Amino acid sequence: MRVSTANQRKPVSGWSRKERHYVYLGLAFASPWIIGFLAFTVYPFFGSLYLSLTEYDLFSPPQWVGLQNYEQILADDRFYKSLGNTFFMAFISVPITLAVSLLIAVMLNFKVKGINYYRTIFYLPSVIPIVASALLWTWMLNPDFGLVNLALRTLGLADPAWLLDPRYTKPSLILMSLWGSGAGALIFLAALQGVPRQYYEAAQVDGANWWYRFWKITVPALSPIILFQLIMGLIGAFQIFTESYILAGGKVDGSGSLGGPEQSLLFYAVNLYQEAFVFLKMGYASALAWILFIIVLLITFILLKTSGRWVYYGGE
Amino acid sequence: MKKKSWIWSLILLFSIVTGCSGGNAPQAGSDAGDEPSDNPPAQDAVTLDFWYGWTGPEAEALEALIAKWNSANPDIQVKGLSQSDYQKQLTAITGGNPPDIASQFGQNVVPWGLRGAMMPLDDYIAKDGVDLKDFVPAALSTSQHEGKTYAIPTAMHVSMLFYNKDILQEAGYDGPPETISDLKEYIKKLSVAQDDGRLQRLGLWPGMDAYTFSYAFNGSFYDEATQQVTPDHPGIQSAIKLSKEIWDQYGSDNLDRFSSGLGQYMSAQNPFFSGKYAMTIDGEWLPTFIKQYSPDLNYGIAPIPYDESNPELKNSGNVTTSVFYIPKGVKNPDASWKFIKWITEPEQMAEFTAALGNLPTRNSAFSNPLYEDVPGFKEFLDYSRSENLKSFPASSYANEYMTEFSAQYDAILRGTVSMEEGLDKVKAKIQPLVK
Repeated sequence: MRVSTANQRKPVSGWSRKERHYVYLGLAFASPWIIGFLAFTVYPFFGSLYLSLTEYDLFSPPQWVGLQNYEQILADDRFYKSLGNTFFMAFISVPITLAVSLLIAVMLNFKVKGINYYRTIFYLPSVIPIVASALLWTWMLNPDFGLVNLALRTLGLADPAWLLDPRYTKPSLILMSLWGSGAGALIFLAALQGVPRQYYEAAQVDGANWWYRFWKITVPALSPIILFQLIMGLIGAFQIFTESYILAGGKVDGSGSLGGPEQSLLFYAVNLYQEAFVFLKMGYASALAWILFIIVLLITFILLKTSGRWVYYGGE
Repeated sequence: MKKKSWIWSLILLFSIVTGCSGGNAPQAGSDAGDEPSDNPPAQDAVTLDFWYGWTGPEAEALEALIAKWNSANPDIQVKGLSQSDYQKQLTAITGGNPPDIASQFGQNVVPWGLRGAMMPLDDYIAKDGVDLKDFVPAALSTSQHEGKTYAIPTAMHVSMLFYNKDILQEAGYDGPPETISDLKEYIKKLSVAQDDGRLQRLGLWPGMDAYTFSYAFNGSFYDEATQQVTPDHPGIQSAIKLSKEIWDQYGSDNLDRFSSGLGQYMSAQNPFFSGKYAMTIDGEWLPTFIKQYSPDLNYGIAPIPYDESNPELKNSGNVTTSVFYIPKGVKNPDASWKFIKWITEPEQMAEFTAALGNLPTRNSAFSNPLYEDVPGFKEFLDYSRSENLKSFPASSYANEYMTEFSAQYDAILRGTVSMEEGLDKVKAKIQPLVK
């Protein structure tokens, strides 16, 4: 192929030849991502939308059933049970974790000796794989010789059978997620250090106490980060899987009671996994996935819409 | 020049992307036969990929058998791969690039077979005259549905009652419980609780295998005649009532606390080994574990207690299996079948199951002297001949059925639903799946 000469002047969409050249070159360099995005995100996305309207067992071609899967889901006990469990984690665990990581960040922002070591220590649990920390926590939460109950007993409090009593299984998971809140704290910490010192100084001159300064300066200044972490946390909570799979004794043959005592750890993703890969109901699972997608989309939308009332952006 | 360079980079990228996916790439192994070779015996050789779920020493036992086959069959070479992630089989079959032979759990056979993921083996069985009557009926039935056989069961499991002789003797018993009433009495007497209700020892864990006891009460999970699932069968109800009665003596709180303080199953702290359970209901592999982890344990193996009003149901049990099958879409099913047929012949079956400490599924393998070295096997082999062994009815929805049943069983024991309500729920959920 001959490279076209300078005589031919046919600018396409207002681009000069050189600009076009760079656009193509840029696209070529971006092509691994574009191909990956099309093949592994866009295609499966619409593929699952189609499959959600079919009955598909992986082995034979999908059979069109219209909205039947969605109708079945609305009458499915396990759907409601798993949704309830997941909502519990999203709306109770996420705010608690957020509050705790903010608290940790504020503490790590104090200028005390050896602060860097504290920062490392709080972040450390976040680099441990979920599977390992889940196993670790099964020991910590052992009702007879676990560290948690040892502490509770010393204080004269009730020492529940954490992972086997359906009333305590989800609180156990919340405890576990607190242990990993160092990652969120790190983000808060970075934001905290960007809060202009003058605000605090001015407030101090006006006689505001620590608590007042925290609520009136720190929290508003961090509100965009809080919103971000809240949304990411919610999305994460809606997809919680591994902890339940490990703690509630997932079995490869699917015969075990995935979901723990009284299905108290049957989360949305766990249920979806079971429908898809154990019961071979791919169409049904795709419909479940779409309902989850819509729920997450709605919640994110509502949060963003209402965030104008409490999120303060420094530039505005 | 420059323009060409980006085209080339694009081509390079494409070739990397398509090369990685490998979806259509021919299997290197199965093409070996097309190439001329210097090695005469391997001229028409096919190589079969064999995925099995066993790992460690169990995989080694299987590899020893594979090596034996390979040296005797230069024309069909089998390459074993320990692949305990069974989900991969799903992906491989749907991707059109399945292993030539694979192992599975018996309960997945009919769900997969009916959906076309496993090749029906009836033609091969008829052609080669494999004697299906030699198989334990309950084991074979896990692989069959409406007259079709989708896999060959190679090993089976059944549970019996294990009892700690020392603890029983202390309590004044000189033998295991024989009937259900005996069992209840034993449990009461053998359990030790503190004044505040905290348990120190249990006669028997009350959340016991509902399938085994349902069969002991002549329960049935499916009614062939009316094509109804029957989780509310009176026999199943009796089994649940038995568990519930024991459960309620101690209460969920105490039982949860007790059980979460128990040691790992595969360790010296296994509650039965450490004397936290006076009795337990477990499979034929347990004596091998005992030998390994707690060699001094003074224990006995006894039949599952029977219902006095149904003495003809003595020696009942629930059978589960491991199977070999040919996935859909393999290139050389004849060769795959030859290997499956060979490895499930009584001699190979005995060699494999004796190494695993699993039970064979063929009557003619039972008398193999290899089992003499396996601890506790005499009792289990005898028990395997019992006519009252049953297995969960094989169907396309068996996994859903068992999952729903165990979820409700748990809820019934904990008292969050009544038995009638829970079993109705199972029925309402599963009956629509019957086609």
